[in-house]
Amino acid sequence: MDKNKIEAIRLKTRRRLLFTGITLVLYFSYVVLNYTSLGSFIRQPIGDSLITGSLVLFPSLIVIFIALEVLFLFLNSRGDSI
Amino acid sequence: MSPVEYFHQKINVFSRRTKMNSIASAIVSGLALVLFAGAVGAAGSIEGEIETQPLNPVAIIMFLIFVAATLGISYWASRRTQTSQDFYTAGGEITGLQNGTAIAGDFMSAASFLGITGLMYLGGYDALVLAIGAFAGWPIMLFLLAKRVRNLGSFTFTDVVSMRLDRKPIRLVAIMGTIVVVLLYLIAQMVGAGKLIQLLFGLPYEVAVISVSILVLAYVTFGGMLATTWVQIVKAVLLLIGVTITAFLVMVQAGFSFDTLLLAATENHPQGRAILAPGVLFDDPIQIATIMVSMLFGVLGLPHILMRLFTVPTMQEAKKSAFYASIFMGYFYLTLIIIGFGSIMVVYNNPDFFDSNGKLFGGTNMVAIHLASAVGGDLLTGFMSAVTFATILAVVSGLTVSGAAAISHDLYAEVLCDGKPDPKKELNLTRITTIVIGVIAVFLGILFQNENVAFIATMPMVVAASVNFPILFFSLFWQGLTTRGAILGALVGLVSSVVLIVIGPQVWVSVLGFEEALFPYNYPALFTMPLAMITTWFFSVSDKSARAVIDRSNYHELLIRSEYGPDDGELAVAKH
Repeated sequence: MDKNKIEAIRLKTRRRLLFTGITLVLYFSYVVLNYTSLGSFIRQPIGDSLITGSLVLFPSLIVIFIALEVLFLFLNSRGDSI
Repeated sequence: MSPVEYFHQKINVFSRRTKMNSIASAIVSGLALVLFAGAVGAAGSIEGEIETQPLNPVAIIMFLIFVAATLGISYWASRRTQTSQDFYTAGGEITGLQNGTAIAGDFMSAASFLGITGLMYLGGYDALVLAIGAFAGWPIMLFLLAKRVRNLGSFTFTDVVSMRLDRKPIRLVAIMGTIVVVLLYLIAQMVGAGKLIQLLFGLPYEVAVISVSILVLAYVTFGGMLATTWVQIVKAVLLLIGVTITAFLVMVQAGFSFDTLLLAATENHPQGRAILAPGVLFDDPIQIATIMVSMLFGVLGLPHILMRLFTVPTMQEAKKSAFYASIFMGYFYLTLIIIGFGSIMVVYNNPDFFDSNGKLFGGTNMVAIHLASAVGGDLLTGFMSAVTFATILAVVSGLTVSGAAAISHDLYAEVLCDGKPDPKKELNLTRITTIVIGVIAVFLGILFQNENVAFIATMPMVVAASVNFPILFFSLFWQGLTTRGAILGALVGLVSSVVLIVIGPQVWVSVLGFEEALFPYNYPALFTMPLAMITTWFFSVSDKSARAVIDRSNYHELLIRSEYGPDDGELAVAKH
């Protein structure tokens, strides 16, 4: 019984770490894209509007983080008890 | 010189300083504001002599209504607070939605509202780094900690970290981490609260500090976590209503066109279109990274936030708490984009908000209140001022509960009484501790009233990230952790955090008056957290003691309980 539980927990732990890793990569992409030369393109206005890529990045990250949470909760609620 | 010219000049000077990489105080002020509700004293513009605002009767009436309502809540909560469990965790009867709102309220503070708006007014986009920093801890809280912490603990995060390790020494270390974070946080809160209330309501500083403490004691001593949570919920809802109305009224003025809003803002601001992208206030990626690491991992180690995971009945509700907190905070920070640029559009050229010397009334931290006044008149100004006061009360209440739990539960009940305290004595001690913390808060608030507390406001997040988070993370996710490794890692995290903050610009230069800082960054968690983790790892893997064998063997059962919950059977490891 414990062996099955441990195996299920390992799967869950991998999922936890994967989601955490994705979040951290996205989080620190905010520094890389906004404050290094790698992201110079994102600081430009989009088309004819005044809205810059940086301004889009901020709400996008918030929405993506929330979407990741929804996905995480969905995966956890699907078909298993833990 | 016109008010606008004066401010343009001020901004230009500020920008030149920025380019010389001398923006530490602005960053510290902003971060302090964002993270420490009410810690406005940390912000340069509310340091020293306070220029009080004209008394706003609407604000006073709304404030009195809030106080009456929250005292009513405390009375109701006091009738339900009969045991220590009721006191620490509201009897575990808070729902995920309620708890998520309260958690969001801890971060979605009026100080975030004032601080981020003030920084956006100064430099536009750059201020949003503080919002993303405060927000991003919550997804990770959900992914990594919410369920496991909820399943393993009972009242505090110390319960979790002591479960598989040698209880007494690891509890003492975790209690030390909690007390350091709570006290430092409390100093920043009380000084900020005193100055902010002085500014908003025209009360003398000492009266403001004592008033905050008396109200908090009334909430916490009688109503415990239940009252604290409901006060936080009421405040969070009021703040959400306030920012929604303010943002809506700004968009009305901009004809519901975001482009028009940005155009008006760039035309008003001396930096023009530069405010729509990063680089006006901050331009050093390492400095930004240090702030972001401190904020993200600091959130994951704050004892009064982790404690909220135990106020819900199940781990499902704990996960919901983290999710709802994210939703509310995400919405709040999105509205701040409109409010921030709206403040530049509406307040920048408005002479109503500048004195005869061209100085903005109350400094830049009052920009959000001025914006509320410009778009919503006295009613909205009064509402937002009252919500600001409410924020301070709510956050200080949460800190007080957390500090009281560290002493009465973690130290008295678990260490001194070996986990078998007399419940009545424990509850009485909790209430006495609450009063003592309230008195200490007043004392510290008055003692530090003329000090630059910005450096104090930086410490709790850095200490939480460097001491509490590594122990918590390793105890949940690494079998190899031993008591020796955890204790040494925590001590190295604590000492290195304090030393690097002291030799950093905010203390070494701004407080101690030296020419140049020995360490270039204000928020050393980028360095101290990995140092603490490496120390923990090294002294754990090299630990060959008998205790280390027990610590490692305990992990298996802890892991099962952390995912399946306490109902899966009594955890044998807790007895070691």
